[in-house]
Amino acid sequence: MIKIFLCFALSASFAFSETIDYLLNEYERASDNSLQTVDEKIGHVIHYSQQEIRLMQYRTLNDILRELPVFNVNSNRFGLSTPSLVGTKTTTSGFFRFFINDHELSSGYDQSTLLSWGDLPLDFIDHVEIYYGESSFSFGNETGIYYIRIYTKEPEKENASEMNLGVNSKKAYSQSFTQSQTLENGWKYLMFVNQSRTLKESDYKNQTLNANGIRRYLFADASNETSRVTAAYTDFSSNNYAGLSIDAIPDDGRMRSKDFFVDVTQFFLDDRSIKTNLSFDANKRDYYEENAQGLWLVPVLDLTHLGLTIPVVFDEELEVFKTNAFLSKTFAGDDNTFLTAINVQHKSYDVNHRTTTNFLHQTTDVGAYNDFDTETIGSLIVQDSYRLSDDVTLVANAKSDRHRRNGFMEDSTDSLYRIGAIYTPTDYLGLKSFYTKTAIAPTFYTIDYAAFFDKELQSQRYRFYTVEAALTLGESKVNVTYDHVAIDDFIYYDPTVGFLNVDHTIHTEGLIFDYEYALSRNDKLHLNYYTSTLSETINNSTKGGYIKYMGSYQKWDYFTSLIYKNAYRYETIRVPSSYNVSLGTTYHLTKDLSYSIKINNILDKSTRSLYQENVSGTFMLEDDSDRSIFVSLQWIF
Amino acid sequence: MKHFILIGLLTIFTYAENYTFLVKPYQKEIELEAKIITEIAASSLNEPLKLFIPEISKLEKSVYAQYTTLSATCEDANFIFINKNVDEKSICRSKNTLYFTNNYRKLLSDERYFGAFFWNKSRPNIVFIQRRLQAHRIHLPSSFEQFIESIE
Repeated sequence: MIKIFLCFALSASFAFSETIDYLLNEYERASDNSLQTVDEKIGHVIHYSQQEIRLMQYRTLNDILRELPVFNVNSNRFGLSTPSLVGTKTTTSGFFRFFINDHELSSGYDQSTLLSWGDLPLDFIDHVEIYYGESSFSFGNETGIYYIRIYTKEPEKENASEMNLGVNSKKAYSQSFTQSQTLENGWKYLMFVNQSRTLKESDYKNQTLNANGIRRYLFADASNETSRVTAAYTDFSSNNYAGLSIDAIPDDGRMRSKDFFVDVTQFFLDDRSIKTNLSFDANKRDYYEENAQGLWLVPVLDLTHLGLTIPVVFDEELEVFKTNAFLSKTFAGDDNTFLTAINVQHKSYDVNHRTTTNFLHQTTDVGAYNDFDTETIGSLIVQDSYRLSDDVTLVANAKSDRHRRNGFMEDSTDSLYRIGAIYTPTDYLGLKSFYTKTAIAPTFYTIDYAAFFDKELQSQRYRFYTVEAALTLGESKVNVTYDHVAIDDFIYYDPTVGFLNVDHTIHTEGLIFDYEYALSRNDKLHLNYYTSTLSETINNSTKGGYIKYMGSYQKWDYFTSLIYKNAYRYETIRVPSSYNVSLGTTYHLTKDLSYSIKINNILDKSTRSLYQENVSGTFMLEDDSDRSIFVSLQWIF
Repeated sequence: MKHFILIGLLTIFTYAENYTFLVKPYQKEIELEAKIITEIAASSLNEPLKLFIPEISKLEKSVYAQYTTLSATCEDANFIFINKNVDEKSICRSKNTLYFTNNYRKLLSDERYFGAFFWNKSRPNIVFIQRRLQAHRIHLPSSFEQFIESIE
């Protein structure tokens, strides 16, 4: 028996002998796995490789976000896709952080990416990593618990131009052009332009609510071995869906946003152990809405004179600027790596124009809601990772954030720390655990919309621990992750009065089971199931999961997926389970030209969003996405 | 039967391509690059390979050393692979040394290089320039003929 087994093993070895063609093929496959940036020491990571993005036809970032465990993506009152904590529909800005390469994408106003970088097309993206862990320990800037790192394609691996065109059955479209080159002097660049038309419409009380709009993106990146310069611009204009209207049906409304950033990184010394980064972000946003039934605009309402203060027209234009400077030094030894860094961030916020008109047609120049319009955050960071033995690595982080604020807001200091360990006793078993204490400070937005009885919101304080076990068996991989989070002073948006610090500790727990099986070199099955508990009233799914199958055969790529979110009840409304089934295929006519078709939400059972019709009135339910067919082509030249 | 199951399980664990946690730096791509460069260099030389990579990183050094003999200096090497943007003047020039690059534009503009290993349209590529192969009297095996181009 053993002889037969040895013969089999030898034959297999000959079959995979390393010819130059085989090596080139393997090199391309290894690159498609996109594992070069994974950093296990900064959290629990979910990884979307270039191969997976291509096979699964993930077109925009939201295609990935909506399937993530212990995560919900719904539409808010403005028709924008909003990530929210499991079990809630609370838009906790700051909980989620988004980075493109090493630059944090968000507005300095509300720490949100929805208006500016929301629904980012993935045509120029190589891979996406989602970390459950504290982002600011590694990047210095604002804190966050769950963060998404988006990596653009590497120009030296592209050296080509690429055109992506797509249209869906609802007449939404996306058109992209990417160009990248490596120059003789070692510099390389990547440039990306895109225009997308988004469509979101719902029928409500014989009227159509819509958030139809246009998004445009321009991204340019140039780098060599020690320097990197990135500049990007995006703008967005759309209708405002239900908006702020008390009856959820605005008479007229629009949203516009323009966002620009430039980011410069320079490494010094032969081992690149000194890193400097300087970035500047500017965000301009306009909002207009009118509604004869009134608008529930929290900052201007006087509950004792509602009739005079409820506006029927609201017109606003804001500008927010953010400057960030970061300096770090790494000391790397055989078993110990120590990093120390300082970061300074300055944010300012200007109201160019803000007026309201009330039921008596009196127009008021509201100006700034309060005198808090600049903030400087100074941070000191230390991080140490120590290899105790071949199979045990210990990690420790500490960070102190000093917030200096103008106006009525007092200065404050947040102290953050984290300890963790990674234990890999064998090649096929690994354990990882972290305990983290962190805080998320209030933003200009939360202060503007804070409840009138306590405008000076405190930082939300998070304490959480996580444990992950990973087991590989041949072509299978199993991951189980448990988390327990306790939140003090949670900043919650009460629709009637605005943001307030919750006066008790909120607890949430989550358990994620994940299983991957490689059926062959080109085909993969992926299962995920999660369940969670929340100490508060639930108004969103708490359980969910997905089944994905993807693969390729000769000139064909194919996939199918089912994303499940469980049913729940909120007050008098029962929200049914969501079963979002999609499938698609790509035909490669040549190595450089391919056509794709993707059918989204075949069963028309997408997740649904809860809206309150009046401030304390009935609730309505709207689908987050419709059934649609998307056809596209990719041409590389 | 017990032996068979035991050997089967060991094989499964040993040949598992999956990883649990990537605690150490990911080096699969550098391993494959090292194998390809070693294959190209060994096929181009009539003598044992002594490879030199200017400004070689610590990780590259440990990986490349598994597949070939690394030369500490430019002068001792018979094959030089330039995969970074280094000062051209710092690289020694010798008639008997072969020069290879990872930059296609450099290959086109600099006569010193007889070939390049680079990416194009998201795919790895190898190009040898026929005239320069002849000038160096390099006879490549038939499996490399597909990469030879008659660029002037």
